Amino acid sequence: MELKIADLTKEFGHFTAVDHLNITMTSGVYGLLGVNGAGKTTLMRMLCTLLRPTSGKITCNGRDILKMDGKYREILGYLPQDFGYYPDFTVEKYLLYIASIKGIRPAAAKKRVRELIAGVGLQKAARKKMKQLSGGMLRRAGIAQAMLNDPKILILDEPTAGLDPNERIRFRNLISELAENRLVLLSTHIVSDVEYIANEILLMKEGKILHNGTAAELLGTMTEGVWKCFVNKSEVEKYMKKYKISNMKSEAHDVELRIISAKKPMADAELVDANLEDLFLYYFGEKAGDSNADF
Amino acid sequence: MTAMLIFEIKKILVKPVNKIVLLVLTAALLVGSFLTLRDVTYTTEGGEVLRGISAAKELKSVKNEWKGELTEDVLWQVIEENQKILAETPNLDEAFVKQQGLRDIHEMLNNGFAGFDEWDYYRADSLSPEEAAGIYQIRVDSLKEYLSREEVKNTFSEKEKEFLISQWENLKTPFYYEYAEGWKALLDSQYLPTLMTLLVVILGALVAGIFSDEYSWKADSIFFSSKLGRNKAVLSKISAGFLITTVLYWASILLFTIIILGALGVGGANCPVQLGESNWMSIYNWTYLQKYFFVTIGGYVGSMFITLLAMTVSAVTRSTVIAVVIPFALSCAPMFLGRITVLTRIISFFPDMLLRICTYHDEFLLCGIGGKVMGVFTFLIPLYVVLCLVIVPVLYLIYKKAEVK
Ligand SMILES: Nc1ncnc2c1ncn2[C@@H]1O[C@H](COP(=O)(O)OP(=O)(O)OP(=O)(O)O)[C@@H](O)[C@H]1O
Ligand SMILES: [Mg+2]
Repeated sequence: MELKIADLTKEFGHFTAVDHLNITMTSGVYGLLGVNGAGKTTLMRMLCTLLRPTSGKITCNGRDILKMDGKYREILGYLPQDFGYYPDFTVEKYLLYIASIKGIRPAAAKKRVRELIAGVGLQKAARKKMKQLSGGMLRRAGIAQAMLNDPKILILDEPTAGLDPNERIRFRNLISELAENRLVLLSTHIVSDVEYIANEILLMKEGKILHNGTAAELLGTMTEGVWKCFVNKSEVEKYMKKYKISNMKSEAHDVELRIISAKKPMADAELVDANLEDLFLYYFGEKAGDSNADF
Repeated sequence: MTAMLIFEIKKILVKPVNKIVLLVLTAALLVGSFLTLRDVTYTTEGGEVLRGISAAKELKSVKNEWKGELTEDVLWQVIEENQKILAETPNLDEAFVKQQGLRDIHEMLNNGFAGFDEWDYYRADSLSPEEAAGIYQIRVDSLKEYLSREEVKNTFSEKEKEFLISQWENLKTPFYYEYAEGWKALLDSQYLPTLMTLLVVILGALVAGIFSDEYSWKADSIFFSSKLGRNKAVLSKISAGFLITTVLYWASILLFTIIILGALGVGGANCPVQLGESNWMSIYNWTYLQKYFFVTIGGYVGSMFITLLAMTVSAVTRSTVIAVVIPFALSCAPMFLGRITVLTRIISFFPDMLLRICTYHDEFLLCGIGGKVMGVFTFLIPLYVVLCLVIVPVLYLIYKKAEVK
């Protein structure tokens, strides 16, 4: 399985949402990390044949996915960011319907739906109407529908957004379990999600992939250091204007800051190991002093 | 494919608003049937007014005394009988009671002798038997006289005049007469076209969401990214709309038919429609049974076109609300627009005309296709069958090629 994105561009009017993007993916979990508006959803929609690219193309094992048509969608599972459903269908009926439009025969569909309902832990809610489900349960139903056809390519657009911490961890584990032997691409702007489950991280900004690689590889691309230091409360503002601050913790008198900077920001700052949060801020963060920064 | 189709139909039927809509339809059908039956009345000698089934029973026995062809002899007898009643019963109300058996023929004579002029309820009372016997010739003559008038000179072309006259001349005479209250109640009243209009609005409401709801529910991403989402699943949506329209239309029409004919009787199926009160001028030489087929099949074609159009609008605009408005506008607006004379000709090609064959077949609505003049309905039914066949692939392609934005 090889999914190759070549020079892919999508413009909305004069705005370029995805900008001459190139990447090749094989099996494994890919975490697409980027801020709001980076173009993650647009990219995923093109991967799901929902949007036609302005230019460039996507091939699956060498064949254009738009030409493959049903043959490509047959091996595709997609959980959209704003997952919509039929409010008056029960979970079971909903899944059976999606199975039917995925071309799964009714007998096989019944079995598969039963398996997946158990697999995602929705047994108790199977007969509930979709509109009665909680956010977490909905997401489970969403992942179940994506898995119905046992897809070789699984695309999940912010699958953990809006879930409480417990639910998020459980959901993450669920995705890890399902990820075997497929290509999973999941987008998020929550760093810890990719930290735990992605084999490879794609950093996306303004329609382009800035860097891709394992967490360690990406951390290696940072040319600035991460500094831990304590400053007086009154000075915090000054530092925020000057540096990218990846974390801030108030102590009794002082404030502990994690500062990303090429140079040592102050005399008693201590150089520490960078983590993914720092990396995220390094690439996507803005100093409070920058224009448009919204803190 | 069948599984998908069943789910598509379920999607429509589980929507709470659609359940209400179906209840409204059922209620309208029952009320409509009740009102239609109530309009059939018979007055007993004691002055009691019977309605519905009991009226039908009495009417059947008195009217069928004249059952058979309305030849000169029969018309002669009708006039004599009528004059006898009037002579014996000076009180007009009492006379009315006795006239109930020959009322239809009385009415037909009124129509015939009024021609295109003022209609006179008592005209038949003053006819001599000889005059009455000439009714069929008088019918054709009055048309010819009308068409030669100065005021209608430019209304019809020569070809159209020829066509009108030949249709009137081709009407089989003498008329076959029989008690036909069932068919008249079914086909000559306002209830059937009203029911059809309501049906179209309701069908429109049901099918309006088939395509747009995917977008408004944001279920479009999953739909279009699934294997069959851009081919068979689209077909099953179109099929769902087609099936809902077909099943609901015929179920409603047949239920209405069964109630009315069941209560009033099926007799009179072979009478010419011109015997009906308001059909004297009809250019369509149908029997009541033929009228029934034309009216219901025409209504079906019209409803199908309007629902397919609503579905197309639903797919293009992605808005259920706009799609609901289409059948509403198409089935009601022309009634108002039609009052503007300039528009009459255009309006007569609107699909809602197919819902109103019942009431419009006695108007001189003509069209010329390739130099041949015909009644507008003869043309409209095949025209809209073709348009339905054209709209389906268009609808399919619109949805197949849709992007999720
Ligand atoms: N249909 C559209 N028409 C116009 N602009 C669009 C359209 N869809 C997306 N955009 C723009 O493209 C950019 C990228 O949007 P996209 O939804 O792909 O970002 P994202 O990375 O998924 O963001 P988020 O994290 O908020 O989901 C945004 O600026 C958005 O406003
Ligand atoms: Mg997004």
